Amino acid sequence: MGEDRPDVLQGTLDLMVLKTLETMGPQHGYGIARRIEQVSGDSLRLNQGTIYPALLRLQQRGWIKSEWGVSESNRRAKYYSLSRIGRKRIEQEARNWERIAATMARFLTASS
Amino acid sequence: MDPIRILFSRIAALFRRSNLDAELDDELRAHIELAAEENRKRGLSVEEARTAALREFGGVTQAKESYRVQSGVPILEQGLRDIRFAFRQLRKSPGFALTAILTLALGLGANTAIFSLINGLLLRPLPVPHADELTMIRFTRTDYANPVYGFSAPMFRLLEKRNDLFTSVAGFSRSMMQVRSSSGNVRVSGAMVSGEFFETLGVQPLMGRLLTPQDDRKGGTSTGFAVVISEGFWQSWFNRAPDVLGRRLTIANAPFTVVGVMPRSFIGADPTQRPEIYVPLWAEPVIHAPYNNMAAGFHAWWMLVIARRKPGITLEQANVALRAASNPILEETIPGDATTIKKFRDRHFQLGATPGSQGYSDLQFRFLEPLVIVFSLCAAMLLLACLNLASLLMARSAARERELATRLAMGATRRRLIQQLMMESLLIAVLGTAAGMMAAPAVSRTLAALLMGREHNASLDTSLDLRVFAFVSVSAIVACVLIGLIPALRATAKNLNEQIKSRSHATSAGERKRVLPRVVMGLEVALALLLVVGAGLLATSLVRLYRTGLGFDPKGVVNFGLDMNKQGVEGDALMRWYESYGDSLGRVPGVLSVAFASITPMDGSDWTSTFKTPLSNGEHDLHMSQVSPRFFATMRVPQMAGRDFRWEDSEASGSKIILNQSAAELLFPGLNPVGQHIVKDRNSIEVIGVVGDIRYATIRDTAPPGAYLPITQDPEKKSSYWCVARIAGSPGPVVSAARLLAAKMAPEIPAPVMTTMSAQLDDSISSERMMAMLAVFFAACALLVTAIGLYGTLAYATARRTGEIGIRMALGARRAQVVALVFRENAWIAACGSLLGLAIALFSARALASFLYGISANDPWVMVESVAILALIASAASIIPAIRAARVEPMTALRTE
Repeated sequence: MGEDRPDVLQGTLDLMVLKTLETMGPQHGYGIARRIEQVSGDSLRLNQGTIYPALLRLQQRGWIKSEWGVSESNRRAKYYSLSRIGRKRIEQEARNWERIAATMARFLTASS
Repeated sequence: MDPIRILFSRIAALFRRSNLDAELDDELRAHIELAAEENRKRGLSVEEARTAALREFGGVTQAKESYRVQSGVPILEQGLRDIRFAFRQLRKSPGFALTAILTLALGLGANTAIFSLINGLLLRPLPVPHADELTMIRFTRTDYANPVYGFSAPMFRLLEKRNDLFTSVAGFSRSMMQVRSSSGNVRVSGAMVSGEFFETLGVQPLMGRLLTPQDDRKGGTSTGFAVVISEGFWQSWFNRAPDVLGRRLTIANAPFTVVGVMPRSFIGADPTQRPEIYVPLWAEPVIHAPYNNMAAGFHAWWMLVIARRKPGITLEQANVALRAASNPILEETIPGDATTIKKFRDRHFQLGATPGSQGYSDLQFRFLEPLVIVFSLCAAMLLLACLNLASLLMARSAARERELATRLAMGATRRRLIQQLMMESLLIAVLGTAAGMMAAPAVSRTLAALLMGREHNASLDTSLDLRVFAFVSVSAIVACVLIGLIPALRATAKNLNEQIKSRSHATSAGERKRVLPRVVMGLEVALALLLVVGAGLLATSLVRLYRTGLGFDPKGVVNFGLDMNKQGVEGDALMRWYESYGDSLGRVPGVLSVAFASITPMDGSDWTSTFKTPLSNGEHDLHMSQVSPRFFATMRVPQMAGRDFRWEDSEASGSKIILNQSAAELLFPGLNPVGQHIVKDRNSIEVIGVVGDIRYATIRDTAPPGAYLPITQDPEKKSSYWCVARIAGSPGPVVSAARLLAAKMAPEIPAPVMTTMSAQLDDSISSERMMAMLAVFFAACALLVTAIGLYGTLAYATARRTGEIGIRMALGARRAQVVALVFRENAWIAACGSLLGLAIALFSARALASFLYGISANDPWVMVESVAILALIASAASIIPAIRAARVEPMTALRTE
């Protein structure tokens, strides 16, 4: 059995994936992982493997869908894209996250 | 929405597990390759590019594992795996699996069957809306041991008015009714019900209407009485004719009009009866003719009263209110009859209310205790089966101790291992339950038939319902835990270290840990002894009941009722009819002797009359019957003095009576009673003979003082009597001859139904018979199961001691000593278990006391014999392992070390 990761982290990764798919359009797993690394400016060391359970989780919720396609270098790869539900949820998820971040920030400033 | 969608996709994933795995592999491979390609573009060598890609990816296996956990339903998959594993374990030892499943099926099946009986008779509410509001009304009197549920019509009519407590109150009384068919009258089970009966039960008709208070009037309506029929009767009698409403039925020679049909689900207010026709209460004088309970008024207590409480009125409130109303109701019922009122008040006449949701049947009271006893025996049997399986599993898992300890050492959690081991016992429990459930309905039907032998019209719905399923599930779960938990806990309790150290088969350390299996086996032996003692007591008692001197010879006697109360012939002419019927039947080949009687021994009825003599002071109650000439000869009751009745002993020739020996000694001590007179209600009756005593209403009670009146002097004009015939050979031809004769000589009467006197005796002790049969059956099973358990555990234990035995023999132990060594194991268990069982038996056998005949609950012989039987079983179970141990060759044994 795998260890459960903290919910916040899970949510973070999920949101990053969603946002990536929103800006980049359909992407394969590697592409999503690279994009996240690039956007975070390498400040976030991501084990690329952890992205797959996250992708599965989002699929199970029906927020994203997947299909097999061919990469620009002519390789068979699975491409993920946002579903209609997923597109609607991004905004809400982003707001949630901002609220948490803001709350966190208030705490950090208050205690310093 | 999300959780449901996730669950669905997870479950869906279970079914394409291998597909998903392959797909993930492909996807991850593509990922690594894409990464490696990009790295190569940045100038790394092929090898370096790939290593870097893998590094960035992190653990591939971990990713796969967490992906798998995320994708499926881990608990379910694990469970399925455990079930498959358990199946394999059971398949590896089919002997054990079969024993386990069969013993459990037996225990659970028997428990389910008996619980179904208890459920059908005592627990299941009537199939009517809001059965919990139903209330039975009854009364108590200090001179009656039990509450009385029978009411007379006048008192019921007053209770019917209690609208302050009840929305409706109903009186009902079941009765066999004669319904005219094209081929003469037929006996049909029916009920007489008051106007509010159907309203009280809150049911709706299948078609037509229900009986109402307007139908329940003296003499019926202008068109005669209305009748409501059951769906079954509609089917069998009218072939489901849609125009049945308004059709005529001739019941007891009177016209009735069908006004409604009740659905099949409606069974009336008695769970053991299924009336086919319902007539108004006021039809009673017609149905019972020539008797008339309505006219008998206050003195005929013939109906049950059920009521529906008003919403908001609790049972207790109704009870208190009725109790307070007892005396006013009594006085209003019989205004002016001061003597009777005083008699009732002196005996603290008190009305009361009891729950009526299960309806009412006297069988509920009669069979409660026997069923509880049988249920306890059965539960003991199930417990024994579980203990047995637990000890067998313990012995088996001892062989797996090393495997389990190794798995523990390698990081398996104990919980996980216990889960896996429990799955095996769960599997046994489920399979055993399924097998038992398949047999249960047939068994409970058979038991119900056995129990209700004498109630020819009684039927009990023992079908499985939710309550039975709940019972079965709970018992199966308890059984599973009992069977599996102890062995599983024990098997996983040790660590590898200890296990490896004890590898050398040094039994000294193992000795201590075998205490638990011994305790379990000892308990099993104790339970087995308990069951054997119970069976011994009940069976001995039954044998003594059968061997008891009845005073007559039941073998070869058949009897059947002749329903003469609804045909045309009466009085002296009827007597001549009986005489000629007897003569004609007597001429049938195989018939030795024919007679008639109003009450035959053990037919379920009892009639006492009070007599005085000029000699003895005070009154004496004698048990009565009216008999025809040759009754004593037919029954083989010895004539001690005087003469038998004659057909010529008419009313005009003066009242005559025959006493039995006890009555003669009671009324005329030391005198010749023949020719003396006794007095009943100021009438003087001449004693013309003395006959031997016979058991009267029950086999249990010694023959009471009794007297016989001649049927030729019966004041009733249209009496129905039993025809009693002694026959040689099989009853078959005589039965058909008797029917043909009845059809020829009295075409109107229903075809007589014949029983043998032996069957009548059997039926009169049906509880005792059922208890004894089941107890013996359970005891036999218990002995078999215990033998298997003792053998199995000893065989396992001995096999594990092969090395030790080899050493002992190498050191000079003789074979006899080895045999003794092995034998001792079970001898100790049997001795301790028996002692415990005996102690419990001495206490608990008292519960049987009221069912035992001619034997004390602590009969020493039964106890000794039971212990001897168990000792025998234990020895038999130990012989093979002991011999096998003695055959151990020291060299081979040591080499396997």
